[in-house]
Amino acid sequence: MSIDWVTVVAQVGNFLVLVWLLKRFLYKPILNGIDAREAEIATRMGEAEVAQKKAAAAEAEFLEQKQRLVADNTAHAEQIHEQAEQEKEALLVATRKKLEQEKQDWQAHLEAEREAFIRELHLASAETLYQLVCRALRDLANEDLEEQIALTVMSKLESLAQELTSAADRAEQAIATTHAPLPEHTQETLRAGLERLAPGLPLSFTTDASQAPGMILRIGSVQVAWTVDSYTDELTSLLADRLAAGESGRVHNHG
Amino acid sequence: MEMTPDETTLFTVWGIGINETVGYTWVVMILLTVASIVIARNLRPDVPPNRWRTTLEVIVTAIQSQIEEISPRSSRHVLYFSGTLFLFIALSNLLLVVPGFTPPTASLSTTAALALSVLIAVPLFGITGQGIRGYLKTYVQPSVIMLPFNIISEFSRGISLAIRLYGNVMSGAVIAGILLGIAPFFFPVVMDVLGLLTGLIQAYIFAILATVYISSATAVVGKPLHKEKDK
Repeated sequence: MSIDWVTVVAQVGNFLVLVWLLKRFLYKPILNGIDAREAEIATRMGEAEVAQKKAAAAEAEFLEQKQRLVADNTAHAEQIHEQAEQEKEALLVATRKKLEQEKQDWQAHLEAEREAFIRELHLASAETLYQLVCRALRDLANEDLEEQIALTVMSKLESLAQELTSAADRAEQAIATTHAPLPEHTQETLRAGLERLAPGLPLSFTTDASQAPGMILRIGSVQVAWTVDSYTDELTSLLADRLAAGESGRVHNHG
Repeated sequence: MEMTPDETTLFTVWGIGINETVGYTWVVMILLTVASIVIARNLRPDVPPNRWRTTLEVIVTAIQSQIEEISPRSSRHVLYFSGTLFLFIALSNLLLVVPGFTPPTASLSTTAALALSVLIAVPLFGITGQGIRGYLKTYVQPSVIMLPFNIISEFSRGISLAIRLYGNVMSGAVIAGILLGIAPFFFPVVMDVLGLLTGLIQAYIFAILATVYISSATAVVGKPLHKEKDK
């Protein structure tokens, strides 16, 4: 065992060179790389922390906006609901009013139709009654109804002789209005009767299709009439009573 | 039986004979340097480290953490010094398994050179850390009477370092040589495996002791290892 001092010196030199080489090519690059990576990681973590804070702030803002939106939506929905309710109420009121109006119109229309029907029924009844009575009189008594009406009117004129006389003084003519034209002999009978009560007073004959069968004699302010209106009125009221009784009977039957 | 590689000339350069100790030391130096250059040539923070770079980082950071455990306020220069000691001795001892390779650490001249380096480095680190006055004061601590003992202690450290490393490495070679005569096939393999283990342990012990000596010399003043940056 011996020490070669030349080798020792050379090895010391070699070792110092190796220290420099490793410092240059190993330690510094590795440690600087580690430091740089640590710095990079620290930077990234800092950035991540900032990003996390930003994300948290954004999340909080988002939640706040969401809550606000939900609240707005709720208020909006309530408002819309309220408006819809109001509109519904208004529409219901308008519809009810319209229905009421239509009902009233319908009832008025129904009433008008009913009145028209009754009027037509009245006329038809009068006409029918008149025809029936005419035929009955002809068949049974061998007399005309027009003639009988004329006689009836004349008898009524006789009971009003005083008023007729004063009215005839003021009147220029007498007018006999009938539903249909009177036969000649009936007209003659009336003229003869009037000549007896109011001499010189001319008598003219007119027709009115809307008038009930019968006759109306007007002398100034005096008017004498005989029509089948009273009979048809009685017939109409009788029919109405029967109809009402029949409807109530049907109602009861249905009930 | 050949006891030291100093006496064997490996090759001659310009008439100067290069013995095995120096020659194989250069081999170790070239291996370490080339490996470092190849692995650490592309170190960027944005490039993910590969397995070799990670291996080097693990080795370097392990040495660094060992030094920090001994002296938390050590300079980074201690890492360069002690780390190089460890890597050089460890690689030299590991290359024992390569046929025909004689570890430079099997030469007393190499271990003496390393011990001499430690012997010189300790006061240098001490003076750098504490200043020359502060460092010299340590020789008269706790009293002036201790001056000769401290000087003897300083030198005996170097000698013990040198002899310990040489003895451990050389003993393996000597024992392997003796056992080779007794059982030519079995024992040399076992002794080589054992030599790898003891070689690494010796590298560790040598580097740790050097660090301890340096840190004891720089105990008063020093800078944190991990905060110091090289210029």
